[in-house]
Amino acid sequence: MKSISKLIRRFVGIMALSTILFSILNIAFFGIVFVRNTSTFSPWDMAGYAAAALQLTDYGYSISDDVMAKLKEQNAWAILIDNDTRQVEWQTDNLPNNIPMQYTLSDIAELTRGYVDGYPTFTGKAQDGLLVLGYSKDRFWKHTRGSWDYNFIANLPKNIIIILAINTALIFLIYVAANTKMSRSIRPIMNGIQDLSSGSPVCIKQNGVLYELAEKINKTSEILQMQAEQLRKKETARANWIAGVSHDVRTPLSMIMGYAGQLENSKNLSETEQKKAAAIVKQSNRMKDLINDLNLASKLEYDMQPLTIKQENAISIVRQVVVDFMNMDIDDKFPIEWKTSPTLSVCYINADKDLLKRAIANLIQNSINHNENGCMIYASVDDDNNTCMICIEDSGIGVSDEQIDKLNNTPHYMVCDTNTTEQRHGLGLLIVKQIIKGHKGKILIDHSEYGGFKVALIIPK
Amino acid sequence: MNEDYLLNKNILLVDDEQELLDMVLSILIEYGFQNVKTAKNLKEAMEQAEKSRPELAILDVMLPDGNGFDLMERLKKSGNYPILFLTARGEDDDKFKGFGLGADDYIIKPFLPKELLFRIMAILRRSYKDENPLVYLHDSQIDFSRAEIIKNDEHIPLTAKEYDLLSALYRNAGRIVTIDTLCGAAWGNNPFGYENSLMAHIHRIREKIEQNPSQPVSLVTVRGLGYKLIVEGK
Repeated sequence: MKSISKLIRRFVGIMALSTILFSILNIAFFGIVFVRNTSTFSPWDMAGYAAAALQLTDYGYSISDDVMAKLKEQNAWAILIDNDTRQVEWQTDNLPNNIPMQYTLSDIAELTRGYVDGYPTFTGKAQDGLLVLGYSKDRFWKHTRGSWDYNFIANLPKNIIIILAINTALIFLIYVAANTKMSRSIRPIMNGIQDLSSGSPVCIKQNGVLYELAEKINKTSEILQMQAEQLRKKETARANWIAGVSHDVRTPLSMIMGYAGQLENSKNLSETEQKKAAAIVKQSNRMKDLINDLNLASKLEYDMQPLTIKQENAISIVRQVVVDFMNMDIDDKFPIEWKTSPTLSVCYINADKDLLKRAIANLIQNSINHNENGCMIYASVDDDNNTCMICIEDSGIGVSDEQIDKLNNTPHYMVCDTNTTEQRHGLGLLIVKQIIKGHKGKILIDHSEYGGFKVALIIPK
Repeated sequence: MNEDYLLNKNILLVDDEQELLDMVLSILIEYGFQNVKTAKNLKEAMEQAEKSRPELAILDVMLPDGNGFDLMERLKKSGNYPILFLTARGEDDDKFKGFGLGADDYIIKPFLPKELLFRIMAILRRSYKDENPLVYLHDSQIDFSRAEIIKNDEHIPLTAKEYDLLSALYRNAGRIVTIDTLCGAAWGNNPFGYENSLMAHIHRIREKIEQNPSQPVSLVTVRGLGYKLIVEGK
């Protein structure tokens, strides 16, 4: 998944950035502490300084007042050990009592490196001896055995780099391990969310770090499924209601059509009365068509009419519909001309034969319904490489540009959630649209070159 | 052609609604059918079937003591005659198509009297051949029982394909029959690609039935769509 790698990249970036930031902060902090806790002077320098300030006068050794003051300020004591006698020749007043007055060579080596009786000592070379400066016991910590293996120092840069590399690798391994666990918990949740968006039911295992999230997603899925189920039930109920009503109307309508049909041809009736009966037949026929259309449209709308798609010859389907109309049109008021190229006898498409027949019949019926004075109807099938175009046109009254725009773009009241008071087109064209949608095709409504209305159905092969 | 003999056939009409029964009965009687019996349920229908030996049954699907499909099965046991269903349910459409229950035709309510009569006559014509089997054309006659054409006192035999094509055309006499239907009648279920053969056969049929085959009057072409057989007196 793209988003996971993006997430990991982000994590790595944040980690690198925070490592750099922490290093800088630590170094700065250490520096500050070091500066704060270290004297502004070095005790070795002080010892040298004091040694230089010690002068042998006629009255013995003496030290300048300002150096003396500095020593006192630092609470340090000092002695001068003579080079020859190794005895203390001079001392400050604050010399602790237990400081020896006589020193051997090894004592001097010891105090140079470390302590005298626990007092940290520092030496400076005086005129005829060694000046030893002592500080209070907790003033300094001395590194008495300061020596490093040469190789250790020589290899230090390399070793530092190796240690850093190992550290980085270790941190990365820990990160990967932690993240793998994380992404293992995240992955089912990501999949779950993707499934949610496609509407399929989701059930994620509720364990791992993100179990709460998994629980919430499962709950959301349940809610969505429940809502979809309720909507489906509602739609089924609506379609069933329409089917039920149309079923119940069929028998009474049969009676009306039956008797009116008989009266229409009854020789006992006058011509005016026969015409009235004919009008009843015509109108009840319209009602019959309306019921059938309403039923089919609602079934198609709520996906209750599954399409039986098979390979069919579009030419044969259109030809049958055209011939059915020609056989019905006894007074030849609506002659149909077959405009398909004579060389084209087969155009295979994947289609539901009955529904496609219904769509074409609706288009021809539309031309008949809207042209009471009769008109020519033109039917044609064209074979493009990947599509099949079925055209029904007429030479009738046609429609305005505005109406064409409306037919192409305004939803029918059956599938529209706004007001239904405005007059909209009949169910016939809605059914055609639904059927063509089911075939993944397109429908184009336009003016015909023959003067009237044109509808082209474009169906993929 | 005289089809009066079909009007003498025994018809059994079954529907649970008395008013609809009365209406269909009046349509049939007005058209000239003389032997129509009615029944309102399965039991009555079986009794009538035993008494009157029907030659066509028109059944409603919904009956108070069962359904029309069961009734059809029971009727078919007692005699092999055509059955036409009248149904108010659009969904039955699929049933008839899908299961091939043995019904000869079905009409979905509401229907026009003309439509009902046309279907009934078509079924009867198919099921009961005329005792006098000659079909009169403008220049000749077809004798389906002998599979031959009689033109100018000459008997010309029909080939099997020509017979199939003429039968299909005659069943829909006066109406256009599509190229596809004709190819289907002669060559079976996958009839595409036989159009040239069909044209050749039509040409030979014309030579047999027409006085002037280049200007046919009985078997006319409807360009691009199909052919129409014009029968005298029809």
